[in-house]
Amino acid sequence: MKAKLLAYTPLSSLTGCRGELTLRELLPHMGYTFAVEKISRACSHQLVRHRLASFSQQSQRYITARRFSERFVTPPSVEAAGEPVFLELVEKASEAYQRLVDRGVPKEDARFVLPNAAETSLLMTMDGRSLFHFFGLRCCNRAQWEMRALADAMLGEARAAEPEVFDDAGPYCYQLGYCPEGRFTCGRMQEAVEKYRA
Amino acid sequence: MKVKLVAHTSGVEALVATSMLTTTSGSLPSAIHGRLMGSPEEVAEVVGRLEVQHGNVLEHNRLVWVIDATSDEVLEAMLDTKFLHLTRLGDDKWLMSGNLRAVVEYAQSKDSAFTRELTDSVRDVAPTVYRSVRRGRT
Repeated sequence: MKAKLLAYTPLSSLTGCRGELTLRELLPHMGYTFAVEKISRACSHQLVRHRLASFSQQSQRYITARRFSERFVTPPSVEAAGEPVFLELVEKASEAYQRLVDRGVPKEDARFVLPNAAETSLLMTMDGRSLFHFFGLRCCNRAQWEMRALADAMLGEARAAEPEVFDDAGPYCYQLGYCPEGRFTCGRMQEAVEKYRA
Repeated sequence: MKVKLVAHTSGVEALVATSMLTTTSGSLPSAIHGRLMGSPEEVAEVVGRLEVQHGNVLEHNRLVWVIDATSDEVLEAMLDTKFLHLTRLGDDKWLMSGNLRAVVEYAQSKDSAFTRELTDSVRDVAPTVYRSVRRGRT
């Protein structure tokens, strides 16, 4: 998995025209475009739930999933389990997909046999306020592992480009100074705050 | 109303082209973008095919304007389109932002002095899209 910040509206470009606006008030006017690469379809399904964003994802209608069995994501828990059924299913799905395509089934229909492990890449654009919300939810210890790793990678890119804007970004416990997860809290807020302290 | 573009994402049309090729080519978006940033001719050629694409490829950018307008004029713009974000800077002065799709679709839906100024403001940052809008194609 990889996340790369391709382009953004620099804070410096708004310095002369922001008037009395605070950074928080400026955030909705700032945009950030990331290349998100080699994540699973399971992860991209979570990503597109953030509706105040724009996505352009590799299309399984137009792109043939050649060598699918070489392009999939394995969860660490599956690797640790040492259970071969996961790889067996990926191989079978790959064979089934190829056989259907070879028999003339359109890619848009053959893809129905591909699992959530299928690798995908996409372009994603969010405004600054939505990105803070995204980091608040997805850098949290309660987020799913792949989504959290992606959010951490994106936060690293954003902080490297615009530290003045994103040093305060991170999971909600870091942003707010308390955990809003209630009875679902991970109980490791101090550890999280230390991790994200710039 | 006076419209002045004050900030924007760098390489707006390179991002439009990257978005178009990401959905259909199978190459990684960062590799596509890296190639296109050094090839304005390819960017213009790809973006020139825009009419067969979904409008969402125009969304991977942010454009920021300062506008001089009365509250009534701003209210009218907000009623016309929900995809422009406005913040008051002072008396009859506003910070406004949105993406290229919002500009294109607003210009297509309404011909007014404001939409013409808005369209003209993106002439330099999105020249191919600008020409398409002026020709009424995109």
